[in-house]
Amino acid sequence: MGEKFAQIRMSRRKFLKYAGASALLGLSGCVLPPATPAPVPKKPIRIGASLSLTGTYARTGQDQRNGYELWRKDVNERGGLLGRQVEFVFYDDESKPETGAKLYEKLITEDKVDLVLGPYSSPVTFAASTVTEKYKHPMVATGSAATNIWGRGYRYVFQVYTPDDFYMDGAVIFGAEKGAKTMAIINENTVFAKGAARGATKKAKEVGIQVVFTEEYTRGAPDFSPLLSKIKALNPDILLGGTYLPDSVLITRQAKELDVNPKMFAFSVGPALPDFYKSLSKDAEYIFGASQWEPSLKLPGVKEFVEKYKAAYNAEPGYHAAGGYGGAQILEEAVKKVGSIDLEKIRETLAAMETTTIFGKYKVNEQGLQVVKPSYMTQWQEGKREIVYPKEAATAEPRYPTPPWKERK
Amino acid sequence: MRRVIAALAAILLLLPFFASPYITALLLLIFMYITLAESWNILSGYTGYVSFGHVAFFGIGAYTAALLITQKAFPWILASLLGGIVAVLFAGVIGFICLRLRGPYFAIALLGLNEAIKVIATAWESLTRGGYGISLPPVPDLRSIYYAMLLSATAVVLLTYRLASSKFGLRFLAIREDEIGAEGIGINTTRYKHAAFILSSFFPGVVGGVYAYYLSYIEPESVFSVSITVKMIVMSMFGGAGTVLGPVIGAASLALVSELFWAKFPYLHQVMFGALIVAVVLFIPGGVVALLQERNILPRSRRV
Amino acid sequence: MPVESAVTLLQVAIGGVLLGAVYALLACGLNLIFGVMRVINVAHGELMMLGSYTTFWLFFLLGINPLLSLLFSIPLMFLLGMGIQKFLVSRVVKAPELMSLLVTFGISMFILSLALYFWSADFRSVPYFTGSITLGSFAFSRPRVIAFGIAVVITLAVYIFLKKTKLGKAVRATSQSSEVAAICGVDVERIRLLTFGLGSALAAAAGSLLVVIYAVNPSTGQTFILKAFAIIVLGGMGSFLGAFIGALILGLAEAFTSFFFTAQLSEAVAYLLLILVLLFMPSGLLGERE
Repeated sequence: MGEKFAQIRMSRRKFLKYAGASALLGLSGCVLPPATPAPVPKKPIRIGASLSLTGTYARTGQDQRNGYELWRKDVNERGGLLGRQVEFVFYDDESKPETGAKLYEKLITEDKVDLVLGPYSSPVTFAASTVTEKYKHPMVATGSAATNIWGRGYRYVFQVYTPDDFYMDGAVIFGAEKGAKTMAIINENTVFAKGAARGATKKAKEVGIQVVFTEEYTRGAPDFSPLLSKIKALNPDILLGGTYLPDSVLITRQAKELDVNPKMFAFSVGPALPDFYKSLSKDAEYIFGASQWEPSLKLPGVKEFVEKYKAAYNAEPGYHAAGGYGGAQILEEAVKKVGSIDLEKIRETLAAMETTTIFGKYKVNEQGLQVVKPSYMTQWQEGKREIVYPKEAATAEPRYPTPPWKERK
Repeated sequence: MRRVIAALAAILLLLPFFASPYITALLLLIFMYITLAESWNILSGYTGYVSFGHVAFFGIGAYTAALLITQKAFPWILASLLGGIVAVLFAGVIGFICLRLRGPYFAIALLGLNEAIKVIATAWESLTRGGYGISLPPVPDLRSIYYAMLLSATAVVLLTYRLASSKFGLRFLAIREDEIGAEGIGINTTRYKHAAFILSSFFPGVVGGVYAYYLSYIEPESVFSVSITVKMIVMSMFGGAGTVLGPVIGAASLALVSELFWAKFPYLHQVMFGALIVAVVLFIPGGVVALLQERNILPRSRRV
Repeated sequence: MPVESAVTLLQVAIGGVLLGAVYALLACGLNLIFGVMRVINVAHGELMMLGSYTTFWLFFLLGINPLLSLLFSIPLMFLLGMGIQKFLVSRVVKAPELMSLLVTFGISMFILSLALYFWSADFRSVPYFTGSITLGSFAFSRPRVIAFGIAVVITLAVYIFLKKTKLGKAVRATSQSSEVAAICGVDVERIRLLTFGLGSALAAAAGSLLVVIYAVNPSTGQTFILKAFAIIVLGGMGSFLGAFIGALILGLAEAFTSFFFTAQLSEAVAYLLLILVLLFMPSGLLGERE
């Protein structure tokens, strides 16, 4: 009995020793600095980013990655950045903030990338920017419109997108110009959609539109008919939604079913995506959407970008892809201006410079918040997504008011 | 044996001074998952009451700490401990409701409870800032967080070890095997179930608070996410539920495996993870610990 | 009460019942499987999602009417369900509940991530039936009425099958006690196979109908499965009819909460109802006693 016990103890000891040793080996392998190659003058510039390749934001994260990737090809064809080829180090953050934070930690301290670019989505950017701030790595944060990220006194994070607060400005201003008096606002209860609704409420007050109804709903809500019944009773001139694609589709469908007839429908995310029309076909007509970017924009380089994107990925680029490309262009511009990989100087340059990329204008305030890029309003007209606002970018005249559902064919 | 433990402890204690911050971040998350999985195991592995809503304690701890830090300027360690205490109070209250239920009813009741709390945390905007989430001041140093997580993990593992080798914990097992029978031989099952429930809620609350501070941003979707509960369950089961070492082995190995997978297969690692879970249940249903016990690598003792 | 608001209230109730029907298809299949095997099928939502995609692709690539595509999605998922039972779940049916839970969870994750890999996270929908049928001052959403009708027909058919046919009686016998059923000469293995297939087929039907009224992506199954869990507890675990009634109650409760309070709160209703039911009638509305 005693002998057997000793045997077991022995084997346990052996096991633990083995386990301990292997753990040590494994760890020391990770801890050792990576072998530095002989200093070749033209060694590539490595840029790191974590992107949501799986999980909630998989689709948009992949688009953004495609944008980055296309920029890399272009810049390398042009002879690289500062005469050096560009390489990317990408990881998947599974759409989770904690994973994003860990990965930027890895990119900066383990992979020792020269530069970083932003992840996709506001929650991941929130977490990732804390890490890049700690290491004083300037981050062009393509992929987040949330104003709150820039209210924390951080100095190393720069916004590319139009902030959520200004997302719906175009729709509200346009509605006021056309004489709309009342507006109902509904939105999903998450950070970006709330911001869009908050901005619209503020703007409505400024231009004299009365907000007669506001309500929030949860992601994945399967039925909007009670909400729309309440709105129908108030009969507002504008129905404005802080939405994503599935809810904007469902709200439109159920508005038709319940015969809710505002003079204008405007949604934050949804109508500006091709899938909106695919999901609704003719019922998508007249609906306004906010867009960060459109392939029909007349900015330098857009046409070439769209062509190359189509050739490479066999799909029309959306704004997430263009944002990826444009964000990388902003970083490129800053690095070129500085003339070396000097993080502190790049930070100063990003904070002060003004430029225009295929994604639109770039300039930030002292917080790093984007201040010059407008949000474009689109409207579906005869199956085409036209830019209708602001006027200087418009590709068609806006159609207003929206005819009641029953008078449409 | 003692020397091995001492060496391991020394390595883990000194690690943040020579390892890269990435390794530190990786390890602190592993410690967090060890804490979560082991806490789940105290309730579900030992008493057999399978909780589908354990992330609720984590989320409550995270929100308590985040609010105390941002509104009342509490130091983060104190705030996290209070997060644990609020989680315990909460467990005390809901225990009265839920512990009367058994089997799948209990499991689904806790799942529902967590969803309900998530909705409340989102809707109660004046307190929690709802879907905007709460931003906390940035963390100057990973090391302090690393030690907080290490300490939590050590504490919960020691607690489980104490339980497993005590009469008190033996009664948990009696409840798992046959609750009515246990009552028959004079065990006050209600008391022991409540004890297990409360013991299993404290540490998730604490690490929830530390997590909030570490990430410096929380929102209801991420701290009340069902996927965290799922991780606790999968990690415990993989290592071996109802054992002391199981959740530790499960959390550490799965975290490392997914870390390795993810670098190489960014698109398909979730697919492989899914397949791995199925394979483990079908081929090593008792988890890694049972496998090691069968091969006599680990002793067949309750203390393992 | 003024006529106008009475009309609105009825309109809200109509919406609630129509929504409940889709919940019902999903929950009935889940409960059928639970009843016979005591397996909580976490992958049920993913089977539903596969049903949605079958209908979507048949419509998108071949222009097949979404109702006609039920003839494809139902047998397809029936077979897949049987496959899952035969090769995976059957091995853990006798193990503790946690084991089968974990297996179906692994399957769910596997299907979900593969779907994301092949079909991306794009939201898809079939714009086929739109608008509504108006009767007097009430509007009946056309896609939802059609979904409701089919859901009722399918659940009724399965209900009659369970009550009237010999095979159906064998399923119910197995549900009450697999040991006794086996003694009475029921081939329990075969019944389990059939049940898993049938439950999966119901999920597929729910999915095919859902893609007509909703925009679906690979994660949609996860959104609905939590509510389906709540419904089966509400109706009584293992009770087919209970799940149907529970689903209608939930649909109504959500609609009225959203109308009288807020849409945000209506998402918590399922879980609040669940907790209330567990407190006051722990075996649900039509559940068997423990």
